[in-house]
Amino acid sequence: MTLVSTIDLLSLQARVIASLVLRETRATFGTSAFGYVWAVITPTASVGLLVFLFSIIGRQPPFGSSLALFFATGILTLQFFTEFSTKLMTVFDANRALLTYPVIKDIDTLIARVLLIAATYAVITTLFYTSLILLGQARLPAHPGHLLLAFVSTALLGFGFGTLNAVIVSLWDTWAQIEKVLTRPLFFISGIFYVPSHLPPQARELLQWNPVLHLVEWMRHGFYPNYNSSVLNPWYPVAVGAGLLFLGLAGERLFRRRRF
Amino acid sequence: MLVFDHVSKAYKMKGVTKTILTDFSFRFMADRNVAIMGRNGAGKSTLMRLMAGIEPPDLGHVYRTSRVSWPLGFSGGFNGSMTGLENIRFVSRIYGQDTERVIAYVTEFAELGKSLRLPIKTYSSGMKARLAFGLSMAIDFNIYLIDEITAVGDEDFKKKSKAVFQDKLSKSQIIMISHSPTTIRDYCECGLLLDGASIRFYDRVDDLLEAYTDLTRR
Repeated sequence: MTLVSTIDLLSLQARVIASLVLRETRATFGTSAFGYVWAVITPTASVGLLVFLFSIIGRQPPFGSSLALFFATGILTLQFFTEFSTKLMTVFDANRALLTYPVIKDIDTLIARVLLIAATYAVITTLFYTSLILLGQARLPAHPGHLLLAFVSTALLGFGFGTLNAVIVSLWDTWAQIEKVLTRPLFFISGIFYVPSHLPPQARELLQWNPVLHLVEWMRHGFYPNYNSSVLNPWYPVAVGAGLLFLGLAGERLFRRRRF
Repeated sequence: MLVFDHVSKAYKMKGVTKTILTDFSFRFMADRNVAIMGRNGAGKSTLMRLMAGIEPPDLGHVYRTSRVSWPLGFSGGFNGSMTGLENIRFVSRIYGQDTERVIAYVTEFAELGKSLRLPIKTYSSGMKARLAFGLSMAIDFNIYLIDEITAVGDEDFKKKSKAVFQDKLSKSQIIMISHSPTTIRDYCECGLLLDGASIRFYDRVDDLLEAYTDLTRR
């Protein structure tokens, strides 16, 4: 009996995932000519709104000299994370028809979507921060290596949380509503429009359980030369992300038969 | 090679358990075309999905070393908002085929002309079936799984399909679900009959058809 080698299987999986990424790109952005433009406009509008609100009430930036940079580090990071959690949640259902091709497995559609979201946000964030620098709203990042690490860790946390969401929602529909309720407060508790280190100790102790807050702090540490966060612990979001991803993938394997 | 090794499969839905296979072991012979018959709802399509590897068995294993097609005659995997060409490209990519060759083959075979550049949702069901059939014929499988293939298109297209199909049969094996004795006689040499929780192999088509007639009369 000839068995298929692991190398063959891996190259098959890589091929399938690459095809899926191309297909998803087309499905996500290709429907209108402005598809790609919208992907950039949405976060720009959110940042713009906060900048506008803070400017008309005449407030100083909570840190540094640029409102836009301060809010961008918060909003882009949070949106990157929530993009995973909402888009991955529907991944098994949305790609049901594709499973009729036996070479495609659920896990391939999941990985393809993760890669597409990560690539999209890599482009969005690069474009956005480059524009800020060119417009004089920001200086070159002080610790570029940390920016990259913070970005990758956000992807890990989103991948983990999103995968777990996808598995739970496939077993229990109501989770989609509960997830919305759970993630809505993130806008307020992730340090988007304030500096967590300046909060009273009691508030800090509570908020530091939120892994997204650490990611926002990490981004700011990457940008500002002297952010000196008293809250940031980079290992925390990484550990939570790895833990959630493990639970999510284990759940995918454990409950695979239930989805058919 | 396609082997079922102690495979069990059942569905539980709203408290009702439906058993399709219980401890089923079977080796599909490489040189024989197999018919699958049974009443509606007996689990023929599920059996085919297990063969293709779309669904995992509850217990046991399905081993497959040959290139097994997806269940043919279906067009559910097409994305409606993508064009015919984009769908062809996607399927040839996942099967590691030369995309341009497959496009050329399907363009020639399906005769959809400029429609290939339109989204699938604008297609009639006949056009979709032509595309699906042409696409599956463009990829070389060792085993073709056919779920109630129905002839599509005009006389010319039917003749063309039959010719291509006969040509494939000389190199590949088919496993076919059908209710039609004529189709079964045309293509198959032996068969499996599903009846509730039991499944039986018949070495001769005549015996299979006789047992099937008995079953449907009961």
